[in-house]
Amino acid sequence: MSIELFKSHPMSRRSAMKTGLAAAAAAAGLVPVRSYAASTVTFLGWQGYDDPLVFDDWVKSKDITLNTTYIGNNDEIVTKLRSGGIGTIDIVTPYMGYIPLLARLDLILPIDKSKVPNLAKIIPLFLNDANVNPGGVLHSVPFTWGSGPMMYDPAALPTPPESWKDLLKPEFTGKVVMMDDPLGNMMLAALIATDAKKPTMLTQAQLEQAIDFLIAVKKQSRAVTVSWGDMADVLSRGDAIVSFSGWETIKKFCADKGKKIEYTFPKEGTFAWLDSYCIAKDAPNLDVAYEIANRVIDVAPQKRLAENAIQAIVNTEAVAALDPAIRAIYPYDSIEDFGKRAGFYSFPPTEPEGDLTTFQQWMKSYERFKSA
Amino acid sequence: MTGRALPLVLTSPSAVIFAATFVAPFIYFFVISFWTVDYFDMVPGASLVNYREMAEKYVGVSVYTLWLSAVTALITVVAGFVYAFIARFKLPGYADLMIFVVLVTMFGGYLMKIYAWKTILGNEGVLNTALMAAGLINEPVSALLYSPGAVVVTLLHFGLPFAVLPIYASMRGIKDIEVEVAHDLGATASKTFTTIIVPRCRPGIVTAFSFAFLITAGDYITPLLVGGKQTLIGNLIAPQFGMQFNWPLGSAMSFVMLAISAVVILVFSRLMAWWCKI
Repeated sequence: MSIELFKSHPMSRRSAMKTGLAAAAAAAGLVPVRSYAASTVTFLGWQGYDDPLVFDDWVKSKDITLNTTYIGNNDEIVTKLRSGGIGTIDIVTPYMGYIPLLARLDLILPIDKSKVPNLAKIIPLFLNDANVNPGGVLHSVPFTWGSGPMMYDPAALPTPPESWKDLLKPEFTGKVVMMDDPLGNMMLAALIATDAKKPTMLTQAQLEQAIDFLIAVKKQSRAVTVSWGDMADVLSRGDAIVSFSGWETIKKFCADKGKKIEYTFPKEGTFAWLDSYCIAKDAPNLDVAYEIANRVIDVAPQKRLAENAIQAIVNTEAVAALDPAIRAIYPYDSIEDFGKRAGFYSFPPTEPEGDLTTFQQWMKSYERFKSA
Repeated sequence: MTGRALPLVLTSPSAVIFAATFVAPFIYFFVISFWTVDYFDMVPGASLVNYREMAEKYVGVSVYTLWLSAVTALITVVAGFVYAFIARFKLPGYADLMIFVVLVTMFGGYLMKIYAWKTILGNEGVLNTALMAAGLINEPVSALLYSPGAVVVTLLHFGLPFAVLPIYASMRGIKDIEVEVAHDLGATASKTFTTIIVPRCRPGIVTAFSFAFLITAGDYITPLLVGGKQTLIGNLIAPQFGMQFNWPLGSAMSFVMLAISAVVILVFSRLMAWWCKI
């Protein structure tokens, strides 16, 4: 057990005595010890999101084997759960926007807060986000967040563009890269090109304006990549010098490839995201799944996430323990200000609501961008 | 066990696997292609709505896919034919080695080939670097990667062994004496080529074309990784089974493309038959 774990679980003298007595009794065979039978926990999530669990010997010490399947899109979570995953998958790591949908489809469980004591250490902004509390009930354990900034090559662009619309200027023709991220792209385009109050609450006309803008950016682009890693490849190789949307961690991906890439928030702002551990309905290892969900927001795993993957974290104690250089990457000290530059927007409606377009209509409209 | 039962027993394991992994899913997806979707749930029915949507919305990208597939297939067949021809008739002493080299290229994974071409064709890739070092260009040719050409080249690399092998197999059936007789009877090299070699290779050529065409028409990874902004029909079918949660539409799109592909291959086969009769 690491020092950080002791920090996150301060022991009173009484509890220490109780623990000591219990341990002595257990050693003497007087009381049954709760032991974890070997558990194989099935984890379906983004690559790297399992790392905070396996970087040290915590999983081994609990006799847990992680059966990990990585996703390429959030929708894979829905697809896999709906096509035989229920009853076999324990943990999924969706983007916050999918949580209301997963809850609506009865694919994930509400979180029993008593089984996740580390929730008390999460920055309230994240824990109170409406997306992770569909129907006012917590359905996920948020553990990392970020946004969609503009990535740029400072060697080619000493001064980054001030506006997303600058990407449409002739000097950027063939030098832009974007990723095939339907929801993120449409949200960002709506933020830039429409007068919608919320970029996820769009009329059909506004949705079409957003798609028109995306198509215009696509015409300027060198590539529409399949993943963030692929976007990092394109920027690292110099195939593009600026991105439409992005992810702070791309900076590290590129640094690992020997290329300095920075990010900026253009004046229109961008969207923010929050990723969570959710427990699948009928999870075969429910108690262990809760243990894991609690573990991932503990101090040591959170520090690992921040220092190794350069991802933003949610545990206030872990944030306080970060190296200042790492901490400076994200606006931990001005979360509210970050909220002004990057909004945590709700998911588009999944069912018809007045003249607002639904998520299915978004996906249909996105095909026009794909085909363009 | 009787002699008549033995073949049935021996083929039954593979028949069961084939039925379970191909025939059953094929039937399932064909059936659901007539279903509809209501709030992420499939609703059984007998509707043609998905086929109508395919006809109304996806014609452009389907035509582009067929065009790119045909171009890729034709280039692959020509390249495969030339390679097989050299192995069989020009360098017969090295034929085994040449075919072995073709087989070796199949050991490399599909994604490995794609990433190899990204490394070769990128702005700072091997080709641009070499051309700049040679003084042939002043700045990288960015059109090499993230273009239709990059998709064709990558799929050509992937599909070439599937073209060389059936064509070479056909060529091995041509005996040297047949070619010699044609020459002795006064046929020119081109006459021998068009009246002896090509007709005798027809099954191999059609097989090679079919492989290359179907690989391209069904691919959606290569356009994503080296095509830049290229979208083939596969890139619109795949999300139907994921993000769109619309398996019936995805199935209908797949069956339409399958039917069109079958027609294209049939037309190519007929054209080859017509050529061989001339």
